Amino acid sequence: MDPKQRNYLLLALCAILVIGSWVMFFPPAKKITQGLDIRGGLSVILTAKPRAEQQLSSDDMDRAVLIINNRVNKLGASETSVQKQGSDSILVQIPGIKNAQEALNVLQSTGQLEFVEVSTITDTATVAAIESAQQNVQLKPGTYKPFMTGDVVTNASVAQDPQSGKIVVNATMNPAGTKTWAAVTTRLFPTHAQVAIVLDGVVKSAPQVQDAILDGRTQISGNFTAQEAKDLATVLQTGALPVSLAPVDTRVVGPTLGQQSLQQGVLAALIGLAIVAIYLVAFYRGLGLISVVGLIVFGSLFLGLLATLSAFGLFALSLPGIAGIVLTIGLAADSSILINERFREEIGLGKTIRSAAASGTRHAIGTSVDADLVTFVSALALFVIAIGPVKGFALTLMLGIFCDIVMMLIFSRPLIILMAESVFPKAPAFWGIPREVSVTGSVAGKKGGAVSA
Amino acid sequence: MHKFNIDFMGNRRIMFGISLTLIAISIAALAFRGLQFGVEFKGGTVINVANAKGVSQAEMANAVAAAGIKDASVQTAVVNGQTGFIIRTSVTDPATANGDAQKAAAELNKTTVRIPAGDFQVTTIGPGWGKSVTNAALIALAVSLLAILLYVSIRFEYKMSVTAILALVHDILITLGIYALIGYEVTPNTVAALLAVLGYSLYDTIVVFHRIKENSQGLVKQSFMSMANESINQVLVRSINTSLTSLIPVVVLLIFGGPTLKDYALALTIGLISGAYSSIGVAAPIYAMWKEREPKYAALAKKFAKA
Repeated sequence: MDPKQRNYLLLALCAILVIGSWVMFFPPAKKITQGLDIRGGLSVILTAKPRAEQQLSSDDMDRAVLIINNRVNKLGASETSVQKQGSDSILVQIPGIKNAQEALNVLQSTGQLEFVEVSTITDTATVAAIESAQQNVQLKPGTYKPFMTGDVVTNASVAQDPQSGKIVVNATMNPAGTKTWAAVTTRLFPTHAQVAIVLDGVVKSAPQVQDAILDGRTQISGNFTAQEAKDLATVLQTGALPVSLAPVDTRVVGPTLGQQSLQQGVLAALIGLAIVAIYLVAFYRGLGLISVVGLIVFGSLFLGLLATLSAFGLFALSLPGIAGIVLTIGLAADSSILINERFREEIGLGKTIRSAAASGTRHAIGTSVDADLVTFVSALALFVIAIGPVKGFALTLMLGIFCDIVMMLIFSRPLIILMAESVFPKAPAFWGIPREVSVTGSVAGKKGGAVSA
Repeated sequence: MHKFNIDFMGNRRIMFGISLTLIAISIAALAFRGLQFGVEFKGGTVINVANAKGVSQAEMANAVAAAGIKDASVQTAVVNGQTGFIIRTSVTDPATANGDAQKAAAELNKTTVRIPAGDFQVTTIGPGWGKSVTNAALIALAVSLLAILLYVSIRFEYKMSVTAILALVHDILITLGIYALIGYEVTPNTVAALLAVLGYSLYDTIVVFHRIKENSQGLVKQSFMSMANESINQVLVRSINTSLTSLIPVVVLLIFGGPTLKDYALALTIGLISGAYSSIGVAAPIYAMWKEREPKYAALAKKFAKA
């Protein structure tokens, strides 16, 4: 394939990609997923601490992610996401903030349910407190041993006790739990001994065993509000967390606040783009015009890429992400300026238009890629190491750099080389070329000065 | 054609003087005024209230007090072009913090609706989290500086990478110094922006170095210093133009952006300006001075020394 054909082919590829991008991203408000800081919602990073003296294993974390996912699903919100971050954190994102409070309660609760015979508790003060029907007695670790844990609970529902009118949680157990529960209640009911039902170390209720319970059902009463009972039922159904999770970075964003920020960001990006475009055309005229089209190509490819990633659920635009995009506008303008300057400079050294176009773009792209790679390295370090929202900034920065390099290779270089053949010579001044420079031949009086590699 | 012939190298002492003065002011500002760290580094809660048109600072403070929120600071702020407030508290439990925000809004809306329900942003950072954030930031900084050092050493030479890093340290110090001087809050966003701008301002430095490297091949007709000066002049138009075109969108963002976007825009603005300057004012002259000590170039310098 001769170089000319190859350049036409590259431009055709560029046109296809740009059209494809527009199909992908238009309308952007629908096609590019918006992050929670823009559309509003709850975003929380939970960090795990292992219980007791155990080590935090990756199995525990995977199980915790699964359980948190189940709990989030039970909250009834749509488009939620639960992701493991690093070795010990989980990022939970729930759009809409109607139930932020409820969600936070449910996410944080370890949900470790334990059944304890009160007579086996070794701390006498605690036993006395339970026997005197005190509420929410805290058990000291190591002073009690459960005969059964919440793992046996297969189903839990909120109900109202017909006699007391109190809100209770009814739990159903699996066969193993049913068997243990039957054995214990059968043994204890003659003496009406107490069984403490303990949630995360706090006695929720301590009923006297009145009868042998053989069908694996039990009622957990406590002074629950309807909300607390619902949360408890959710936690019981989804199982206890193998680790305790603490919210370390929680953001609740109202619905209109984020949209306003987005509008400001988009407005700033567009104004910035417009000023840069005017500047480029004013300074470089014809070449500036090519640069501006280059910026449009860059923007199209970038938005197309973001929309494509969004379609696969791999991207959501956050405010830091917008900052990254704004910075890459400058990057894309830079690479065009490098090309323009180098082209003019090689012309100035006495090269023909054709060879200045070929070698100028090659040198300028070389420099640009060097500089791009350095910025890319910083962005990559940030993306891999940093925690929290700043990852969004690093991501759009990296994607923008990628689009910049693609733009130079499939648009700027082939177009300038092709135009150098036929278009530039027709109006040299407009393209920033002194009139006496020829397309191919050498210039009288200006011996081909060397620009070294 | 735009041709410059400015004697940067001859005036390098003036540029060093400017840089050293700025660095001295920055260090003094950092030492005496210190940096204001954002909630992400300290733990606590920030409530951003927008669309609070017509609500005075006193009314908001009263609502916050009536809601029973202890040791809260209420600050007026223009959030997204609308009157708004930034309320800072020491609460580290998100459920409590959200309850507080709801209560304060309810207090304010007791008689008439002053702020739309739920129209605020509550950020709560747990205790101890700041340490992880700070560590991650420092590691990211160290890793990217190392990576840059390595890349430039392999691609060019170690003397370039060392001077490039010197220029970066210059940029970081001045940016932080300005933050300390104006008392603007340092958040993880600031750190991210600063990191990005480091890579970015290296862009300028690398372009200058690229040109010096090209021109240094087979150098016999002039001293390294004057060749370096010529190199700077050759890429000056490009430097000015690229700096301007990068700066324009960022400055527009600084003017129009909301809270998070402003965080980025300010650090990027200072970093870009300082970075553009340090490529020419710090990195290139120090590199040239260092190179002139190599026997080959020392001989050239002697030969072309002005009488």
